Amino acid sequence: MQNSHALGFSVLLRCSLLRRAGWPISRRRNGGIRTGKGHVRELPAERMRIDKTQRPWFVASLAILVVATAVYIPYARMSPHGPSGASALGLTFGIVGSAFMLFAGLLAARKKVPVWRVGRAQTWMRGHLWLGLLSLPLILFHGAFRFGGPLTTALMILLIIVVGSGLFGAALQHYMPTVMTVEVPLETIFEQIDHRRGQLLTEADDFVEGASTLEGQLASAAARAAAATEETGVATEVNVTPLRTFYVREMRPFLEKPGVRGHKLSNPAKARAMFEGLRMLLPVEIHETLQDLADICEEERQLSQQLRLHHVLHGWLMLHIPLSLALLLLGAAHAVMALRY
Amino acid sequence: MARVKRTTKTVAQRIDLHYFKRPHPFRRWLFILSLLLPVLAVIWLASYGLARDNHVYSSGRMAPAHAVLTQKCGACHVSRAGFFSAKSNDQACLTCHDGPIHHANQLFTPECSSCHVEHRGLARLAATADESCAQCHARLRTSGGATSYARNIWSFGAGHPEFAPLRPGFTDPATIKLNHAVHMKGKLLGPNGPVQLVCEDCHRANAASQAWRFPIAPGSPSGETPQAIGGAAVSVRGEKLGPPSRASMRAYMGPITYANQCAGCHPMPFDKRFTESVPHDTPERVHAFVMKKLQDYIAAHPHELSETVSTVMLPGKPLPVSPRVYRSPKEWVEAKVAEAELLLWGKTCRQCHALDYPAASSTNAAQPASLPVVAKSNIALLWFQHAVFDHDQHRLVSCESCHTRTRMSQENSDVLLPSVQTCQQCHHSGADGAESRCFECHVYHDWKTEKDVINQLSLTDLLNRPARTRTATTPISSGK
Repeated sequence: MQNSHALGFSVLLRCSLLRRAGWPISRRRNGGIRTGKGHVRELPAERMRIDKTQRPWFVASLAILVVATAVYIPYARMSPHGPSGASALGLTFGIVGSAFMLFAGLLAARKKVPVWRVGRAQTWMRGHLWLGLLSLPLILFHGAFRFGGPLTTALMILLIIVVGSGLFGAALQHYMPTVMTVEVPLETIFEQIDHRRGQLLTEADDFVEGASTLEGQLASAAARAAAATEETGVATEVNVTPLRTFYVREMRPFLEKPGVRGHKLSNPAKARAMFEGLRMLLPVEIHETLQDLADICEEERQLSQQLRLHHVLHGWLMLHIPLSLALLLLGAAHAVMALRY
Repeated sequence: MARVKRTTKTVAQRIDLHYFKRPHPFRRWLFILSLLLPVLAVIWLASYGLARDNHVYSSGRMAPAHAVLTQKCGACHVSRAGFFSAKSNDQACLTCHDGPIHHANQLFTPECSSCHVEHRGLARLAATADESCAQCHARLRTSGGATSYARNIWSFGAGHPEFAPLRPGFTDPATIKLNHAVHMKGKLLGPNGPVQLVCEDCHRANAASQAWRFPIAPGSPSGETPQAIGGAAVSVRGEKLGPPSRASMRAYMGPITYANQCAGCHPMPFDKRFTESVPHDTPERVHAFVMKKLQDYIAAHPHELSETVSTVMLPGKPLPVSPRVYRSPKEWVEAKVAEAELLLWGKTCRQCHALDYPAASSTNAAQPASLPVVAKSNIALLWFQHAVFDHDQHRLVSCESCHTRTRMSQENSDVLLPSVQTCQQCHHSGADGAESRCFECHVYHDWKTEKDVINQLSLTDLLNRPARTRTATTPISSGK
């Protein structure tokens, strides 16, 4: 899911960059992007949203759940000693539930080898989502809603956490891309954020250096003009000291350590006020540089926001994936030992 | 001055083309955790393995009866040499306790674990499901082909026949002439005035702690003594109903005895010269008692050999007196014994007992022809031949709410046992029903044929380190 999402972001970024570079880009109704050269790229991030395109999977999953429940209830009521995982039906529930879990777990393998022609990534993702969700009631039927011994209790807890975190992640994947698009129009590839921040710092340094150079050039030009006209009173005086002072004291620390909370420039309103104040102090020739620096601060703020959103959007995977692997491993041990005993 | 000149070159420079070669901390931590947690899971399982404790694979908490074996999987899960399987089997169960078969002519003997399901937590192992019984009793067939039992019993609510003593043709075998209706009337003549009897005055559990309301008078030569409080366990037909525990002592009503239940209101006087009663014993002993009493009396009162007796007693007329002189004390004693026994055999004893005078040819020295034979009382202590019942568990309801016909019963042949429908009012399936499964009243194993089990385990074995699955040829203790 993360890779697909990253792929979506990369396409968006590419789209943004292409648009900035002047390439004609149009958005397709189905969520894809058609470039001016006729290339079409899908937007997997949008396809992963829980919308009406998920209806077949939803209906199929609901049907399986209904059938399983319809089988389980009479089985539970009529079993002499109550339902059990060791009975034929209990074993069937366990095997089917485990198969669904295994399929959901194989998504990771499918991502590791994306060139395998074993179904579309979208199909795998939807299967992961719906069959993984379905595995919980099936395993509950298998265990007859009892947690059993230490291993089976651990398995049940792991399964509940894994499915719960998966549901949480699916909800995030449903809502967060929209939030990301709105709040972070200058979004970049997550792994490129640090690289891009370095670039922004270099750009800012260059802009301030350029402003100092411009200050000198304007002073020389003013001196030459004064000497030619012998009218010293009309010479234009350019002083970028306030800009340098602002940059050294405020902006560069902000760009160097963007994660520091409470910085004035991390607040758009305060940043805007600071740049408006500078605009009053600096000559018109420097205003364009000032705007560039304001743009850099804005991009930096967006990168910080992207970082936060990314941690929210993908943080649940820190729980979901490792616990899934532990679940599959312990589940295999349970299957083997249950056959033995 | 424009910030960036938007050329393909500048755009391309924004991308670090080698970023994927340097794993991001997020991915790095995800990888580490994905490796760490499964490894921790393996270590967790391995720690149990190193401790030779397989109970981590248990499918659930064991029943209290087997809780001490929780970490000794090998006690029940016997592995067969050369096979992967280590499933529990009957041999493992029979190592510790015998499981007698149900009936000699049964066609099918289920596995222990098919009825007594383990690893279900705090459930009673004896609480078997109805289906375990119904697998035979729903369509009962026996090896002999014929059976006197109902053939289609699915559960207590489905197919259970009426209790045998209540079926047509069955009468109470007791010979004691007891009229419940009379005894339940008010203002009966008690030892100290009118009384209203209640059920508990005559029917109490063995372990009843209260004294009897109308016991025999202290020092009475009745031959019986009031039952001691908390007496021995009830033993019927030569078999104990259960260990003499408090529970079993309260389960059944104690036996009815003259000393406890009758003597207070029904004394047995035999002669106006004596205030005491005859012993509640055999006619021979009663005869000897009366003879001895009268012999002693005439020896102490020789002047009574000559007495005056009224022969006819008519109201309103002076009593005609006729003097009678006995020639010897022996004659006096024989006469008085005859009078006393006429009262005893003709009225006092016959009021409750069935007396029979055997033919002279069938009598012997110990059974003079003049003495009657008292029929055995045959008071049933247990009505259910194949079921158990616990009165103590039902003490919250009044006696007559179940024994509904008591106040109307006038014949001792009436069976006042509650019907199966009475029980089914409370004992039925569903959330609002009391336990109605078969095991509540019936016992599968025929414990009369139980064989002793040679104890193989010591406390050390039980409390020692957990054993791994043992093989079929190794004793439990060697598995540690």
